[in-house]
Amino acid sequence: MPSALKADGITVTFGGVVAVDNVSLDVEQGKILGLIGPNGAGKTTLFNALTGFVTPQGGRIHLHGEEITHLPPYMRTRAGMGRTFQTERPFEELTLLENVLVAAFLKEPKRKHAERLAMEVLEKVGLADRHDQPALDLNLARRRRLELAKALAVQPSVLFLDEVMAGLNPPALKEMIGFVRRLADQNLTIVMVEHIMEAIIELSDHVIVMANGSVITEGLPRDVIQDPRVIAVYLGED
Amino acid sequence: MKKHYIILVGLVLLGIVYPQMFPGYLSVAITLLLYAGWATAWDILGGWAGQVSLGHASFVGLGAYFVAVGTAHHDIAPWWSILMALVAAAMLAYLWGSLTFKLKGPYFTLSTIAIAEILRLIAINEGWLTGGATGVFIMTLPEPFGLDLFSRQVNYYLALAFAAFTVLIVMLISRSKFGYQLRAVREDEDSAMASGINPTTVKLKAFMISGALTALGGGIYAIFLSFIEPHTIFYLLLSVQIALTAIIGGRGTIWGPCVGALLIVGSGEIFRTMFAEANMLIYGLLIMVVVMFLPRGIVGEPARYLLRRAYAKRAQG
Repeated sequence: MPSALKADGITVTFGGVVAVDNVSLDVEQGKILGLIGPNGAGKTTLFNALTGFVTPQGGRIHLHGEEITHLPPYMRTRAGMGRTFQTERPFEELTLLENVLVAAFLKEPKRKHAERLAMEVLEKVGLADRHDQPALDLNLARRRRLELAKALAVQPSVLFLDEVMAGLNPPALKEMIGFVRRLADQNLTIVMVEHIMEAIIELSDHVIVMANGSVITEGLPRDVIQDPRVIAVYLGED
Repeated sequence: MKKHYIILVGLVLLGIVYPQMFPGYLSVAITLLLYAGWATAWDILGGWAGQVSLGHASFVGLGAYFVAVGTAHHDIAPWWSILMALVAAAMLAYLWGSLTFKLKGPYFTLSTIAIAEILRLIAINEGWLTGGATGVFIMTLPEPFGLDLFSRQVNYYLALAFAAFTVLIVMLISRSKFGYQLRAVREDEDSAMASGINPTTVKLKAFMISGALTALGGGIYAIFLSFIEPHTIFYLLLSVQIALTAIIGGRGTIWGPCVGALLIVGSGEIFRTMFAEANMLIYGLLIMVVVMFLPRGIVGEPARYLLRRAYAKRAQG
């Protein structure tokens, strides 16, 4: 399988603080990469560097073999990246359909076609029956799904999910895990930052564990969670 | 959406017969129509794209000066000078936007005040170009198809055409891809970028369209006044009034700026005759009422309520 997303030696500093220190990763097309680590490990910063919302001080990023290190976020979206935000960011004054329509217009400039695509995506995430509701009125679980719909409507080849499982109740979590699995089965490449271990273990093909900005270990999910170093960063050392 | 077109056609028809019904009230109507057009044009940037400008008098002035100086000093017909003004306005918007759209929120707004101020100083000091502080008189105008451009009636129909054209443009934008890009940028720039939108480009386009349309009204304004001077035309209060008209009526709505114009110009006319200088009090009260009770404007609040109710009704079956 060809590499969908490749990053070499990504380093991000804020002032004197090194938030991400020389992190490399390589995800094959159609695979799911899980990114875990305690709070403050640098996961979200790495995530933002990959999607262009934070400028790394060092390193290179390739998307499907093309270098995108210096592209702004909207160019990365056009090149095939889709992302969600950890704190959902719906366009609050717009209806759900209009929210997704904004993203759908990227690949479908004609309104009729864009609207059909937006409706299909809303259908997928189970929000179609609320298409004319203003986004401001949504509850958390539905805002999550709307966030996902917006990311999917740009028809990405690599999807970045920033804690989409957090705060979901068990049935909703199970549903979301199944949903992400089906996306990967359709050959979508996925990078996910997640705290919910159940989701990481069930979904990830490969897991990277970060602490204090660096990768402490990586590998298959079952191996990684039994690694004493991982247990140490999560639970603290004796 | 269809209903908006029907309303527009209805209003234009009403506007066409208005001079026969109220021939004594043409000047008020012209002012109202110009404000409706300016506020609607302002709203493309200020409402739909969410970038509040307090410098739109610059574009009014640019249009007015091109027309006035064109006819008075260079013998250029107003339709040509208006076209030049549109290009100049779009260029000014492009330049200013490229410099200032890195600034966010109030900083962009503050920077716009400077545009009108710079243009005012140029108009005062560069007399060879602008006629200087004394201003410019339009003494003669060509008569296309035998129309007397000095007549109130003709001025009125020009203003009507301007207002209707501006509203039509906004109606077309509101349903288009561009219209949704504007709203996305207004709501959340990061989220817009995640949807593949370049916020700077979108804001620049909005500024250019908004500025050019405002200049179009400015050209008509110059013909209507037939005398312009820098102090009144590049006046901060004019910029503020244009912005307030749209804000009070409802930012980012198709009809808000027109309703705002009706209210502000209409009430201004009534209260000025009743209370003289104290009419500014009414103005202040109006702004307070809107800010406190109708933060989305007179049209914005009910529009939002209707949207919510339509969903609730449908959801309950």
